[in-house]
Amino acid sequence: MDDLLADFIAETREMLEASGGELVAWEADPADRARLDTIFRFVHTVKGNCGFFDFPRLAGLSHAAEDALADCRAGRREPDQQLVTAVLAIIDRIALMIDAIEAGEDLASFGGEDSDEALIADLDVSRETSGNAGLEGGRQGANLTLHAPADALFGTGEQPGNDRAAAARRADPTAAQRTIRLPVELLDRVMSGVSDMVLARNDLAHRLRQAGNQPTIDGPFERLTTILSDVRDAITRMRMQRIETLFGALPRLVRDLSAELGKQVMVDLDGGDVELDREMIETIRDPLTHLIRNAIDHGIEPPSARLAGGKREIGLLAIAARQSGNTISIVISDDGRGLDEERIAAKAIATGLITAAERSAMGRDKILNLIFEPGFSTAEVVSNVSGRGVGLDVVRQNLEKVGGSIKVTSAPGQGTLFSLQIPLTLSIIAGLTVEVGGHRFAIPQSYVEEIAQGTAHALDFTRMGETALVTFRGNRVPCLMLGEVLGLDTREIAAHELTLVMLRLASGDLFALAVEGIHNHGDLVVKPLAPAVMRSGLYAGSTLLDDGQPVLLLDVANIAAHHNLMSDTRVRTIGLIEEGAVVAADITRAMLFTDFAGRRSAVRLELVQRIETAPASAIDASGARPRVVIDGLILPLVGLPQGAFTLPRVRLLRLTDGACELLYAVREVEDAVELTEALHPVPDDPLAEAVTLIGGQPVTLVDAHALFALHGEPPLAAIRPRCILPDGEWARTILGPLVARAGYDILPEGTHDPDAIGIVFEDMYEVAEALGRTLPGRLIRLRDQPDAPPGSGTIYRYDRESLLAALAAAKDAAHTQPDFVGEAA
Amino acid sequence: MTGDLLVIAQIAGRRCAFSALDVKSVIEIGTITPIPRAPAWIAGITALRSQALTVIDCRRAVGVCTGPVGQDWPTDHRAAVVTDSGYSYALMVDSIEDITTAAGEAGQIPGGFGPEWSRVATGMIETLAGPALMVDLAALLAGPDTARHEIEAAI
Repeated sequence: MDDLLADFIAETREMLEASGGELVAWEADPADRARLDTIFRFVHTVKGNCGFFDFPRLAGLSHAAEDALADCRAGRREPDQQLVTAVLAIIDRIALMIDAIEAGEDLASFGGEDSDEALIADLDVSRETSGNAGLEGGRQGANLTLHAPADALFGTGEQPGNDRAAAARRADPTAAQRTIRLPVELLDRVMSGVSDMVLARNDLAHRLRQAGNQPTIDGPFERLTTILSDVRDAITRMRMQRIETLFGALPRLVRDLSAELGKQVMVDLDGGDVELDREMIETIRDPLTHLIRNAIDHGIEPPSARLAGGKREIGLLAIAARQSGNTISIVISDDGRGLDEERIAAKAIATGLITAAERSAMGRDKILNLIFEPGFSTAEVVSNVSGRGVGLDVVRQNLEKVGGSIKVTSAPGQGTLFSLQIPLTLSIIAGLTVEVGGHRFAIPQSYVEEIAQGTAHALDFTRMGETALVTFRGNRVPCLMLGEVLGLDTREIAAHELTLVMLRLASGDLFALAVEGIHNHGDLVVKPLAPAVMRSGLYAGSTLLDDGQPVLLLDVANIAAHHNLMSDTRVRTIGLIEEGAVVAADITRAMLFTDFAGRRSAVRLELVQRIETAPASAIDASGARPRVVIDGLILPLVGLPQGAFTLPRVRLLRLTDGACELLYAVREVEDAVELTEALHPVPDDPLAEAVTLIGGQPVTLVDAHALFALHGEPPLAAIRPRCILPDGEWARTILGPLVARAGYDILPEGTHDPDAIGIVFEDMYEVAEALGRTLPGRLIRLRDQPDAPPGSGTIYRYDRESLLAALAAAKDAAHTQPDFVGEAA
Repeated sequence: MTGDLLVIAQIAGRRCAFSALDVKSVIEIGTITPIPRAPAWIAGITALRSQALTVIDCRRAVGVCTGPVGQDWPTDHRAAVVTDSGYSYALMVDSIEDITTAAGEAGQIPGGFGPEWSRVATGMIETLAGPALMVDLAALLAGPDTARHEIEAAI
């Protein structure tokens, strides 16, 4: 019997939660039969169950409500405000009684049955009022509904269809899936059990890899892996709950608040099907309620003020939830009076949050976001709705505790918009493992914007005092050395050996974290750390790697705040999160090729500047170190086969570390691939960074560091001849590429370089000569006409052969007779 | 208290007792991953199956040892695993000696145990293996800094 009773209580509660929202929605649109039916079903079920359990008072209440609603369904009466209020009162009473029954209290604590009678009488009184409303001069006529029907609110004729569709969508969840109830602890135990299983599997995977290929074990192990990841997905979803459970109670809240404050507010909920961690839903319940209270209390004006301001009488409060990647954003917007920048600023100055000087330097957004500072409350009159000691600072704190953030934007007179960002789940995150000074640490993937190798020349790593800066997409970005942040004893590392992880904070600020290497990325099961460790402010948790080694998860936001990298720690704005960029960022790409030893190798794509094809004649293998001439540069060459070289041409990968270049001879270039599998170090091969799997095949990843240490040298750039082009579009776009291909560096017109060769048009040449201007020592003169007077020494500008020959001749002259230039000048 | 099981361990050369109810297990301590910038008495974290344990060096946590450990006292290759408010710790001690039975209540002695020991000890307890200091786990895990802060605050 007790079990049955517990079920009855739980079921009734669930329906209570659902019906509160339905009732308000139904009031807004009395024509909505689906809603009416839901509420009717609720009271009907309660009535049935009450009879069964012998709760005559509950039965009496629900019976009366059922009667009244049945009248509405049959069209015998119109639902109006009084009816809704009376039904709500009865539902409230039922809820209270359910609480009492659960606690084992006597129902008599609610007063005698007379009080029930009064509630029931309200239902009937309202019927009479409704009939006589015309006599009483109701403001909106006979059907005194609190809210106008939604159609009327939106005014135009084309919207009813949408509204109906929306109503149907919202009504859907009432046809819920079959569910069972479980204690949360059990759920948590299963959850952590699965997490442990994943770790055990990772450990096993590691050991299996060490033991080498064992087909009899690998098969079942693969299957285990697949099953486990399925189970984990399902478990993760078990923790998930539709945000609807949170939204369900909101219409009622809004209705009660607006009635209390004499305002008219319509609530619009969207995105109820977004799923969120159960714990997270509990965490945001209070902040959300608080923001709604604020919006109704301070944001939305009284009806008269709204009408005077040319707005609709009824305020609109829209709450929308969206999932984007691993964050959920919830936006709460009202169309009220908006935030008063001046008053906020004045208050902030008065309370000493900012100085007047700071104020004048702050933008509107920054000032508005001051409302989240501790001890800030703009309401001059503290009502009992908002402003009961719990400020917006607590809202922000609660959100930040779970890794979320909040910001506000507002247009005066048009409304206020709070936008909340919260992480999807607490315990499993995608992360990146980095290494510094022999230690490994994990970084939450959500912060990672991109990964850049220090080798990339464009990064332009510089030290400004104690601070390091890098250039990223044209901006100077502060760079933290992780080793220094953690106080590790690391050797001074050359900039080009560093790997830079570009991190984007929730505030939109970008900074680089320099590490020595990146290991891999994947889902990390994050466990909390002991409080004494948390106090260091550097770590957010711990996790175990595949090999069972524990690693610490860095608290990126805190580290940045510690180093004053948030542009203004008081202002939390949410940066544009480019999902695509984040996803692309964590993938290391490599160029896959087969070398002359027949070994499949790969080299990190960042290093590959170009793929060159050189004739065998360009290769000089006579010395101790083979060299090759490419584009007029003599560059070191590695990877040549032993013995005589027979191929007429050879494919070369042109690698650069930013300063040095070298060429890697390969038999075949395959493709650019993504390094998705783990990298296994190869200690015995000095030129191999690691072995990894690409498409199931082992591939050796070339150790760029060792390669450049052994063979790298700056190119002998002085050999490359330079050429000064004539002015004009034709020279730049048509002549320029040809000259460049012939192996020349192009100098802009007007530069004076005695070693450079000049190309001029004949007419310009004549003018220059007539005026006695200095011209480059060696000249190629061009003419516009195909036919030339004999012996003119000019070349027709589209005579490709002659032009190339002249350029080649000039180049040879520069190489073989460097002094010739001086004589000619 | 009489009849309670106690785990006896040497910390900084002193015999200390932990309630056997607090000690979940005694493990062979594996690789310890150090935690940069954590207080010195936290030796690092180590993995026990799929769990990460915070390794506490008890000698430093008591506050009697500020220099390098290892010169003055040996370190047991085993550690006692304890849990406190939901977090698991591995306690590094000189040596884990025995499990024995309490033969009385923890009591104070005139003159106290010295400031460091008084902070972490609930009192002296007679056991079948002789007297030992009864360790207050929560106080030990709070680390030596808390006491220092309190003293500073008091001044």
